Amino acid sequence: MKNFITTYCHISGDTCSLNGKVLATLDTSSEDGWLKQLYRYSRQTYPKFYKMDMLSQIGYLASGFIKSNHVTELSEYADDEIALVFANRFSSAESDIRFQKSYQEQKAPSPAMFVYTLPNIVMGEIAIANKWYGENMFAVLPKFDADWYVNYSQILLQADAKAVLGGWINISEEKPEAFVFLVEAAESGVEFSTDNLHSLSGID
Amino acid sequence: MIYIGAEEIISPLGTNAEVNFSALKADVSGISLMPGAGFNHTDLHLAKIKDLDPAQSFEKLIVTIMNSLSERIDNSIIRSDRTLVILSSTKGGLYDDIQDPFRAVNEILISGFQLAHVPVVISNACISGVLAINTAGNMIKAGLYEHVIVIGCDVVTDFVVYGFQSLFAISNQPCMPFDQNRTGVTLGEACSAVLVSNTTSVFKQKPYSLLTGTSANDANHISGPSRTGEGLYRSVKRTLEKNAVQAEEIDFISAHGTGTLYNDEMESIAMDRLGLTAVPLNSFKGYFGHTLGAAGVLETAVCLQMMRHSTLIKSRGFTDPGTSVPLHIVTETKSAPLKTILKTASGFGGGNASLLIRE
Repeated sequence: MKNFITTYCHISGDTCSLNGKVLATLDTSSEDGWLKQLYRYSRQTYPKFYKMDMLSQIGYLASGFIKSNHVTELSEYADDEIALVFANRFSSAESDIRFQKSYQEQKAPSPAMFVYTLPNIVMGEIAIANKWYGENMFAVLPKFDADWYVNYSQILLQADAKAVLGGWINISEEKPEAFVFLVEAAESGVEFSTDNLHSLSGID
Repeated sequence: MIYIGAEEIISPLGTNAEVNFSALKADVSGISLMPGAGFNHTDLHLAKIKDLDPAQSFEKLIVTIMNSLSERIDNSIIRSDRTLVILSSTKGGLYDDIQDPFRAVNEILISGFQLAHVPVVISNACISGVLAINTAGNMIKAGLYEHVIVIGCDVVTDFVVYGFQSLFAISNQPCMPFDQNRTGVTLGEACSAVLVSNTTSVFKQKPYSLLTGTSANDANHISGPSRTGEGLYRSVKRTLEKNAVQAEEIDFISAHGTGTLYNDEMESIAMDRLGLTAVPLNSFKGYFGHTLGAAGVLETAVCLQMMRHSTLIKSRGFTDPGTSVPLHIVTETKSAPLKTILKTASGFGGGNASLLIRE
C-alpha cells in the first residue's frame, strides 16, 4: 500500500507554517517569547506546556497543529497505531547546557531540568498528551536524512503502525528549526518518498 | 533468519566478553564505593572502569570495541556498503563536547574504519540498546543492509551522577534490584557490541537467532514508570505474538531491574499480566550498575554468553522479595539449558522495548 505525507508543519525562529502556508509569525512587540506566542495561537490548554524544555514545546506545538488540521480525526487510529520517528543533530544539547549551569553556576543540580536532558523526552510528552502507546524512535544524525525516515517508517508501517508522525527538531542558538510530518495510507497527499520528503523539509 | 553474536564487553569487570562472564560466574561485582564522587563530594557507589581517563573516553571505548569485535567476525564486512554501524547511547561524548556530543565519534569511526555509511545514533534513554538491536534486525529483514554492528556505550560523568542524585534516585548501597530493601540505582559505565547479520559465516563463533521485538510508550509520565506496566506489557505481548513464542517456551528473562522502588514494582506487575512470573528472571545491574544507553546491548551480550555456557546467572543484590507480585528471581548461579531468552528494557520518556534470542 502506498503511503502519503498528508500534513506537515514547519517552525523556524520567526515563522510557523502548515502545509506550506504561514500560520503565524513572530510578534517582536510581544512580551511573550516565540513559543509561548505559538502556544496562545494554538488555543490549546495544556498547563504542562510551561514546564517543558524547548525541544518538547516545539514537538508538542507542531504535532498539535498537524492534528488540528487533519482531515479525519487521528483518534480513529487505535492508541498504538501512530508511531513517532524523531531525529535531530544536537540531541538535547540546549537542555544539557542549562542543567550543567544549574550545578556549575547555581550549585544546585535541577531535577526539573535534568529530566529533559534526553532527546526522546519530546516523544514522551507527545505520547502523554495524546495517550499514544505506539513505537518511538529518536536518532541523532549529522544532518536531515530523508532516507532514514523513509526506511525506518516503512519498516514500522509494514508492521503494526498505521501512521507515522516524523520530526526533525533542532534548537540552534536558542532558535527552533522544526519540520514535523504525518505519514499514512491515504487517498491523497504527497507520496512518501525520499525526494518528496527532502523537498518538503526545506532543509538543504 | 537474522543472527546475533560476536558479543563483546568492556566493563569494570574486564575488557572482553569471556572475562566479564567469568567474573559474573564468580559473583564479582563491578560496583565500588567512590569517595567524593557525588555532588558536594559525597561518597557514592559507582561501577567505574578502572583507570579510564574521562577525556575522549566515550570515543576511545568505541574504537577499542570495534577493534576487538573485528577479531570475532569476518572483518572485511566492516567497510562494506552492506554494513551499517548503530550506536546506542544517551549522552555520548558530552564530557568533551556538550554542544555536539556525537560529532567526534562519527568522525573517528568513519575515518578509522573506512565505514561506507555514517553511523546512526539511537538515543532513547534506557531502552536505546534493545531498540538498536531490534532496528538492526529489522533493517536487515527489510533488505537495507546485510550486517549491522550495534555498539552500546555510556560513561559515568558528573552530569549524569548529579542528575540522578537530584532526583534522589541513587541507592546508598550497591543497587538491589527487586529486593524489598532497594533504594535506587547505582550508575555504571560500559561499552558492549554485537553483530547482527543475515549470514552465519561472518561470525567466528556460533551465532544465535535474533527474534526482533517491538517498543511501546507508557503514555504516562516522562520520568516515572507506569503503575500498571502498560507499555512493557504491550511491548512484550506483541514481541511474543509477532514471533509466535509462548510464555512457556521462555527459559529466562533478562529484566531491566534498575533497583528503584517504582521501576521494579512496575516490571513485576507487567510480568504478572503477561503470565511470566514463573520464568527465571534477573537483573544484571547488581554487577554492572545501570549503564543507561549501553545497558540493552551489554545485557543482551551477557545473555548470549549465558547461552554459550548454559549457565543462569543469579540476580546480585537480591535477598528478600520486594515487589507486590512475586517473581522467580534467580538466587543461585547454576547450569541450565537456555534455548529462548527474553530481554526487556524500560526508561525515561515512557519507553519500553523487548527482544528474543534463541538457540
